[in-house]
Amino acid sequence: MTVMRQSLRAVRLALAVVSSVAALGGVVTPLAAQHLLLPMDAVQANHLKAYGVTFSALREGVRSEWLLNYRGGAFLLPDVPSLRRAALLAGVTVEPMDAAAVRALRGEMTEGNMDAVPLEKAPRIAVYTPPDAPPWDDAVTLALTYAGIPYDAIWDDAVLDTDLSKYDWIHLHHEDFTGQQHKLAAVYRDAPWFVRSRERDLAMARRFGHADIPALKKAVADRLAAFVSRGGFLFAMCGSTETLELALAGRDVDIAGVAADGSPVDPAADGKMDWTRAMAFAGATLEMAPGVNAMSDIDGHQVNVPLRRQPLGTFALFGFSAKFDPVASMLVQNHRTVLRDYFGVTTSFTRNRLKPGVTILAEEAGAPWVKYVHGSFGRGSWTYLGGHDPEDPQHAVGAPPTDLALHPNSPGYRLILNNVLFPAAKQKPLKT
Amino acid sequence: MIARRSRVRRLVYVIGGALLLTRPLAAQPDPAAAVLTRAMDAENQGRPREAIAAYREAIARGAVIPGVLGLERAFSLVAQEDSVLPALDTLVARFPREAALRNAQLRALVAVGRATEAHRAFDAWRVVDPESIDPYRDYARVLLFNGRMASADTVLGEAVRRLGSTRGMLLEVAQLRAGLGRWTEAASAWREVMQAESYYEMAAFYSMQPTPVALRDSVREWWGVATAPLGARQALAQLEVAWGAPRRGWELLAALPVRDTTVAIWEQFAQEVERVEAWGVLTEVVVAIQRARPSSAQALRAARIATRAGADTLALRLAREAQQGPVDERRVAEAVPVELETLARLGRAAEAERVLAAASKSLGPEGTRRQARTIAMAWIRAGDVDRARRAVREAPLEDADAVRGWLALYDGEIGTARTALRQADAPDPPRIEVLALLTRTTATQSRTIGAAYLALARGDSTRAERAFEQVATELPEVASLALLSAARLQAARGESAGAAERWALIVAQYGSTPEAAEALLEWGRLARRTGDRAAARARFEQLILTHPTSALVPQARRELDGLAMEERR
Repeated sequence: MTVMRQSLRAVRLALAVVSSVAALGGVVTPLAAQHLLLPMDAVQANHLKAYGVTFSALREGVRSEWLLNYRGGAFLLPDVPSLRRAALLAGVTVEPMDAAAVRALRGEMTEGNMDAVPLEKAPRIAVYTPPDAPPWDDAVTLALTYAGIPYDAIWDDAVLDTDLSKYDWIHLHHEDFTGQQHKLAAVYRDAPWFVRSRERDLAMARRFGHADIPALKKAVADRLAAFVSRGGFLFAMCGSTETLELALAGRDVDIAGVAADGSPVDPAADGKMDWTRAMAFAGATLEMAPGVNAMSDIDGHQVNVPLRRQPLGTFALFGFSAKFDPVASMLVQNHRTVLRDYFGVTTSFTRNRLKPGVTILAEEAGAPWVKYVHGSFGRGSWTYLGGHDPEDPQHAVGAPPTDLALHPNSPGYRLILNNVLFPAAKQKPLKT
Repeated sequence: MIARRSRVRRLVYVIGGALLLTRPLAAQPDPAAAVLTRAMDAENQGRPREAIAAYREAIARGAVIPGVLGLERAFSLVAQEDSVLPALDTLVARFPREAALRNAQLRALVAVGRATEAHRAFDAWRVVDPESIDPYRDYARVLLFNGRMASADTVLGEAVRRLGSTRGMLLEVAQLRAGLGRWTEAASAWREVMQAESYYEMAAFYSMQPTPVALRDSVREWWGVATAPLGARQALAQLEVAWGAPRRGWELLAALPVRDTTVAIWEQFAQEVERVEAWGVLTEVVVAIQRARPSSAQALRAARIATRAGADTLALRLAREAQQGPVDERRVAEAVPVELETLARLGRAAEAERVLAAASKSLGPEGTRRQARTIAMAWIRAGDVDRARRAVREAPLEDADAVRGWLALYDGEIGTARTALRQADAPDPPRIEVLALLTRTTATQSRTIGAAYLALARGDSTRAERAFEQVATELPEVASLALLSAARLQAARGESAGAAERWALIVAQYGSTPEAAEALLEWGRLARRTGDRAAARARFEQLILTHPTSALVPQARRELDGLAMEERR
């Protein structure tokens, strides 16, 4: 007991020392500075957790700034003990700055293609993910958990039953919104995880009065589109991008095969698709063959169709004007401009299927597809990023989870986290 | 200026030499050859004025190109680069299609900064030879050499417009793009160069080494894929070494099909890796070479490198491989010491003695005596002091010998042990661990410390643990480390509760010592294992906040990440 008391005393003493003498990354600065710069260039020891530290500042109500195109998209935070502590715990590199240094920094930023965007409040985040999915099953939940950014997990019932306007940002797990479970039945029909997920979705469909899974997922897709049109931010990766669009455009068409709803795809489905309902794509051709593991020609890589499969290359992020195009600039902040590509059920987006007005954020030079796109829909906006896991290029079902501690500087995961902070950068639109 | 002149001179020598061998303007009459020889002698002996006169005479006698090139060099020696121009003007008028003269003219004009005249000379050459790529290539090359990237870019663009492509100027295009910082395009161009001529891999390597971190993946994409030429993969592997990722470099080369070329590439790569002292990767490279082209010498080299990497078991296997085949006493004499050293490090003393006895004929009496020290070290590792002493009875030790240090330590003579072990130079983790304790006290004798380490060497963890606990009482200045050593032994035996008590004591009473960091980490891990996440989190956070410079901080952060995942699940 005495030992424990002594131990607690030692801890308290140590914490007192830490809060008075800010020791950061081995550099002891005896006096508090006025600001902390979180550089996001090659100097940063942990890019991903830097987003978490910035997010925690917003949660504390501390106003921060995102310095677009400055040192890889650095963050400028007020120098408060709780943030120093958070940075130290997370291993995030910070550079204390006094007022003169901040003035000089601002002077430098006015000269070039840079701008400071105020971050006002921590966005409320929901991730659309099955109830039994572990965090490492999805790149976004993995990134959020690693960075220490809290989120609510929501599933079909929450989307259909609750008021989504309480969230600023929704991410879609790699779900198939056409209700065909990515046409994996042919291979995994008897696999326990596949059987479980089909039974779970069927039960959910019946609970909400839908005849089958495709009908349930179309209803969910509609609600998600409504969330965006009312001012929400939607971020989707992998197969959820393409299938959400197909579900929206094909709301009144049978686009699901026999394995999903007991009836074949309407042979005239292509002509019946209403692309005005979709957010990003138009004029796509459905893949109707049940044995061909692809949904449409939206995906450029067709990873699961051996004869169509395209090899992985690299994709380059576009540079935007920070002052005139801050939204696109925020989404591409990175310490790398060329990134290795990675597969997913939907890896990329065929260029000629994009609607006019869609902003291309990253593309593979010379290829007929793009990787990363953004656009507005109603009063909100959406961002699609192709591929499943930026650090697992050949991801396969059953592959071991990615350990982000081994990729703290992942440029691909930074793209995901740019999207998380992006809604913090502007006034929350009214959603009714 | 001097550096630039020296570069120009080097270039002139190289080009001149090549031209002398491959492109004589015309058959040289003997008198001209004699004059040329005289000119070169004068130049080499530091008499440039005399050389200039002789080169002029050689030109007059018909040795035009070697004469002009010599004249250019000689004028450069006296810092009068522009003085060669009048001679060139005359000769270019006489031989308007001669590329070597045109090239020398462009070189001289650009070097002395007469850019307008250089461009005019380039235009004149193009008029004479409108279908040739030579004017564009040579002018671009001269501009690149002088750091005039933008002008070179214009010339290459002009070549594309006039000739339809830069196919014949791949090298210049690649250099230009790298020089302009267009790294992705440079990587693509260099790949084409290496596709055509693989020996350019070193030029590509030097050209692309400054690629910024943000764009290195594009180089990897162009050079690292299976369809890239071998030279490109080789260059990328060397770049990875230069960029601080030798393992990534080795991964590019390891999968190459085994053939003589591959082995030669691996050898070259091994030299690069050795330069940066990446012993672990180097071990893999030399082992791969040994597997591809087995030989005793290669096995021995691999064994020595594996020893440096701390891969003792592998080193032992390789040292034995080096002795296979017909008996060769010289080979045995070289390999046995490596084998004995690894056996000693592994504490396999009896085996080491047998190996030494078997090899005594090859080693000779003096060689055998020299290995006595290694045998002693093996017995020390095994905790058999008497045999260690016997082993070195016939081999007197220096004061600073580690063997003397260990024996003194076991005797409790820690002052002597401190001196001897501190001065020993071989990398040896147990020695460093002992020194960490000995250097914290000024005591010269402690039978308890000796007993603790002796028990440890003998594998008697219970006795060692008790001894360390006693050390903590007898020598308060080393108490934290002694308690931590005791706790480590308890934890290794699975006595978590007892270990936790000691960790708690260290944190409470010796919170500012380095041992407190390890105690917090292990204490936190125990809490995590037993499901007490809150306590675990508190300890990991305390470690990071109170010991921010500790080498254990990354491990604490990793534990926190693990906790976050568990909590989210």
